[in-house]
Formats: sequence, structure tokens, C-alpha cells
Amino acid sequence: MNRARRRKDFFRTAGTWASAGLSVLVLISVFVFVFSRGISTFSFDMLTDNYWATNYLLDIENGEANDFVPPAATDEEKYFSRKFGFSLVDDIDKENNRLMVVESMSALSPLHEGIIATAGSDQGKTHPVPLGARVRRIDYTNINGEARSAGILGQDSSAAKTIERLEIEAVSINGLFYQTTGGGIRGSIISTLMLIGLTLLFALPLGVSSAIYLHEIAPRNRLTSWIRAAVEMLAGVPSIIFGLMGVSMLFRITSLFGINTQSILLGSMTMTIMLLPLIMRQTEEALIVVPASLRMASLSLGASTTQTIFRVILPNALPGILSATLLSISRIIGESAALIFTMGTAISDNPKISQGATSLAVHIWTVMAGEQPNFELATAISLLILVMVLILNLTVKLLTYRINRKWQV
Amino acid sequence: MKIFRSLIIIILVLSLFVGLAACGENESEETYAPTDAPAETTVALEETDPTAESGLQGEIHVYSRDASSGTRGAFEELADFEEQLTDNAILTESNGDMAAKVGADLLAIGYVSLTTDFAANNIKAVNYEGVEPTEENVLNESYTLARPFNYVTRAAGDFGDADKEALVAAFIAFLTESVEGANAISSAGGIVDVSSKRAWADLQADHPVVSQDNSGIEIVTVGSTSVEKAIRAALETFQPMAGNFNFKMSHAGSGEGPAGTVGEEKDTAKKGDIGFASRAFKDTEEVILGMSTGTFCLDAVVICAESSNPIANLNQSQTAAIFKGEIQNWEDLD
Repeated sequence: MNRARRRKDFFRTAGTWASAGLSVLVLISVFVFVFSRGISTFSFDMLTDNYWATNYLLDIENGEANDFVPPAATDEEKYFSRKFGFSLVDDIDKENNRLMVVESMSALSPLHEGIIATAGSDQGKTHPVPLGARVRRIDYTNINGEARSAGILGQDSSAAKTIERLEIEAVSINGLFYQTTGGGIRGSIISTLMLIGLTLLFALPLGVSSAIYLHEIAPRNRLTSWIRAAVEMLAGVPSIIFGLMGVSMLFRITSLFGINTQSILLGSMTMTIMLLPLIMRQTEEALIVVPASLRMASLSLGASTTQTIFRVILPNALPGILSATLLSISRIIGESAALIFTMGTAISDNPKISQGATSLAVHIWTVMAGEQPNFELATAISLLILVMVLILNLTVKLLTYRINRKWQV
Repeated sequence: MKIFRSLIIIILVLSLFVGLAACGENESEETYAPTDAPAETTVALEETDPTAESGLQGEIHVYSRDASSGTRGAFEELADFEEQLTDNAILTESNGDMAAKVGADLLAIGYVSLTTDFAANNIKAVNYEGVEPTEENVLNESYTLARPFNYVTRAAGDFGDADKEALVAAFIAFLTESVEGANAISSAGGIVDVSSKRAWADLQADHPVVSQDNSGIEIVTVGSTSVEKAIRAALETFQPMAGNFNFKMSHAGSGEGPAGTVGEEKDTAKKGDIGFASRAFKDTEEVILGMSTGTFCLDAVVICAESSNPIANLNQSQTAAIFKGEIQNWEDLD
């Protein structure tokens, strides 16, 4: 090897090394970024909590002022009401709103005797105020017998002011309005699962059958290759165009079923059309891998074409179809543009097929689009999505490895 | 050959370090700093005439919001320079983003909502026409950079359900007439005169629908994203007072408010029961068709600058000239 040759080779190799290094670096930095930002917010509670807070309006009977002894270790930040036996602390939520939270309650505090005041099936049931409740308003009666309110909705900006006001003015407390924490993604997880289920229900039979037709049954002529080319082209259409098509055309179909709003059904129908090329392509790949000798053996034993397809070829192509399914699932999890149009951006805690909801990816869009973007929650959801997609992709790799080993390719 | 391989490894390690440094920067707030801000400001400061000691010198960095922002629309309309924003303006993504960027740039001028935490963002409020931006001055109409938050409901009989219609009417009464509603709005930053309101206990009698189980009813709100926080606070407060009805907030911009309730989108996927706009309704928006329409609170737009900037007051013509790019340097402002 001469010098010039060596130098040339060196630069070529170095180019590939550098490119590979850069790609790995970018991937690692994405993971590091999402992990470092999201892991602090990520918790089991986040997965199971509702996004919207539950609001409780309680009547409090026997709320007369008493003389409670503050717990031994009260530090500066906690404000204890001697009259009513509970303490509040200040807090700030992820959207930068001021909160006050119930930190402790004496055993005989009137807060244990809340009664649900909201009209409905639970009205009149006892409902003690839980620790950690976000108190919005405390209704009390002052010395002149007038009804007054304390708390954030009584224009007190802090726990200190609220407690001070109660200690000075209140003769008895009559009611309390508090919220649960909220901010969870349970609803979006459920709607993502519903979306995946419905989409696969529509897309798999359609996609697999068309792939079988194209590969096994259709005559090998110009028309078939045109159809195949059209399917390939469909795969290159940007998802936002599918979204537009969904909201303008498929919306009319869902309207026939009486669904006059953006809905999970509409989202899944749009996703079905988006995923068809992927499923058809992957299934065809799986059919190609099935050795021709199997087909011939089956046909020579007297089986019809249909029997051969459904009894011999399809079972052998199953791992390939499964990996197409898994790839589709990761596409559904990652899709946002088409779903913003077809499923809407309103987060729902109890998603229904006939109503709008957000998938996890659109949930990120919604919390970031407001006046006060919630960056922590967005990265925590990203973390969840990354982990899910990673697991799905590893499973696909495993399946592909097993098929290849089976046919000794 | 070995030498080459070790060379390659060294290059890779170096690029790794550079990359890591870059992604470290990504995670700090620095990424959000505008890259198109002129870099030669310090030079400008040195070169200009040092006689004008009190005033700030250098090029004015104009910050604005993206075109979809209702705050920007209101500000441009109130300061009378609609569609004439200078091309040099640096666009920000949200109210908080604007506050953070202006607070980090001595030569900056921008505008935020009155509810912004001025001290935490290192920004100061600039008086407009000599009037300090405070809630009192907005309510007594002396501070004129204020915009209304408006609502419009669907037309009477167009809700598809009598109970829902009654519930929407009750919510509107709660929102506009009750002390509790006013407190909820004001806790979320809306400017509203609580003293002129009545207790909900007095109003409740006119709305018997609130004392039944409404958990099967869903009220859908559409329209401006700026009102979202105030409306969410009001809906959350009203929910347990009115039989636990459900609500869905699907806000995407002021135009969608009237369109989704009384306009051409009222029977499409974008329909809603109550629509909101963070500006006055236009003549083309037929809000008169709605069962009820009006203003439920005010919001002030405040011109802001970095906290050590000596500027204290701007009038309308100065404001318009700055944002149009006609006044380009701080020393030209008098």
C-alpha cells in the first residue's frame, strides 16, 4: 500500500466512523435529555392519576371553633389553626399556580366531618378531607353571623394569610372546597390503548388480505404492479394530509353513526389508512420469505390455492405479520399531526370511542401549547413513549431473528 | 495502520466532547436565547455620544409573540400598529417565554400579561400614557392597554338538551354575577371587580338546575387559549356547586369561539356550548344570535423592559413607532 492510498483510505474510514459516532451521540443525548428532565416527574401516581382534578364541595357540620394543640414539631412553613385543628402549607403546581395543601389534622378537627354538598348520588355522604388536599376555599361564619370565605378563592394569597384570617375572624367553619392533585395521564394511556386496539381491528384484516391478494392471487401484470406502486406512494404521504382527509372525508362516515365530533373512532379510521401501506409491505415481505417449496408441496398434495394460502403460507408468515403489528403500534403511539385534527386536543379522563381524547403524543402537544407550558410533564410522557417504542422495537428484532433462523436465511 | 486507528479514536473522542458540550447547552435555558439578536450592541454602546448619561443607549431589541397569539393581536390593535410589526422583531412562544427573554436582555422591549411574575423574570412594567398598569387602573379605565375576555353561548334552543341549556345559563350567571365566580377568575389572573358581585347563594334560586345530579351533562368550551386558565378555574369551582357536570375545554384561538357556537362551525367537529375570545367580537361574528354574550373579565397587556432599564413611561405614538421599527435606538426615544 502506498502512502497516498493509505491516506485516502484513512479519510474514507474516518468519515464513516465520525458519522456513526455522531448518530450514536445524537441518540444518546436524546435519551439523556429526556431521562434527566423527565425522571423526576415520572412516577406511578402520574400513570394512575386523572389529568383533571376532582373538585369536592363539602358542608362541615359542628365546625365551631375549639382550642387545639399544635403538633410538637411545627416548622416555619406550616401554619396551624388552633381554632379548627389543621395546618396548611404553601405550594406551587407545575403550571405555576399558587396552592395551599392540608399538611396535618388533629384527631378531632371538624375537617374529618365533611359532608358532600354536591347534588347527585353521593350527596349527603360523609367525606373526610384527606391529607394533601388542595384547599381552594374555606367558608366560615364571622362574629357578626355573616358568611365569609377564606383561601385562594377568598382572595388570600398564602396559607399564612388564610390561617390568620380564620384565627381572627371565624366563629365556625361551614364548608370547604378542595381539589385532588390531578395532572396524571391515566386517561391518555387508556385512549392510546383504545386507539391501538381499534386501529389494528380495522387495519390488520384489510392490510393482510390485500397483501395476500397482491402476492399470492393477483396475476403478475401491469395492473398489479401499479397497485403496488400506489401503495408505496401512500406510505410517503405526510401524516398531516391524512389528518385533513380524516376530518373532512371520514368525518362524514362517523357522522352516519351519529358521532358529530372528533372521536377516537375517527382517529382510528384515519390511522388505519395511514398504516395500510406499512402492514401490506411487511406482510408481503413475510410472504416472500416463506419458501416456495412449501407452496409446491402443498399444491402437489392436492390442496387448493385457498387452502394452501390459509393453511400453509399464512401460519408460516405469522411472525412477520406480528412484527408488522408491532411496528404499527409504535407508529400509532408516535403519531400526533393526524390525531390533532381527528381526535382533538382536549384531554379526557374517561375516554369513549365516540368522543375526542388525546393519545400520549397529543397529550404532550396539549400541555406544551398553553400559556404556561408544562415541560416536566411533557418530558415524563416522552420518557414513557420512548420506553414503549424501545420495547416494541426490541420485540420486532427478536421476532425477525427467529424467522430468519427458522428458514436459515 | 495502528497510528491511524488511534488518530481516528482521538478525533472521535474530541467530537464526542464537542457534542456533549453542545447537548449540555441544550439543557440550559440558553438555547431559547434568540440567535438573531444583534451581537454588536456593546460596540454601539461605546461609540455613541456619552453626553446623554441618564438614558439607555443602543439598538432597541423588539420582542413580540407569534402571529397566532391573542395577546399580540390585542396589543397591536390597542397600540394601533396592526400588521406593521418590524421585521427585526424577535418572536417568542408564550407569555413566560417573552418574560424570560426580555428579562435577560438589557436592550429589550416586549409586552406581557399583567399576571406575569415581574420580579422573578427580572422585568419591570412600563407605564402607558403616564398610567401605571394596576388592576384598579384597568377597572377605572384609565389604563387603556386592556382587553376584554368575552363569551358567547349557542343560540337558545340549540343546545339539544333543556337541562344543558339551563346549566349553561347558570354557569354564565355564576361567571358574570357571583362573588365566587369573580374570585375564581381573579385567582387565575383575570381582572374583575369583585365588589360589584352578589353571593351565589342569592343567585342560585333562579337556577334550580344546579340542585340536581348533572353528571350526565358535558359542557364544551371553545375559543381563545388566553382565557383557558380563568375559565378552568371558574368551571372547576362551579362543578361541585352544580351537580358535578362534566366539562371539556377545547381551546384553539379566539376565532374558534364565535365560530364554534353561532358561526359556520357550530355543527362541525369544532362545535362548543360556550365560545370565548380574548378580544372584542368582530362585526362579522354574529354573537347576537347566542343565548347570551358579554364580557366576563378584563386583562391588561403591559409593556415590559429589563429591570435596570431606566425607561418608565411610553405613550401610544412612541410604542407604535418602536414596534413598527421607526425608532430603532434607545437614545432616539425622548
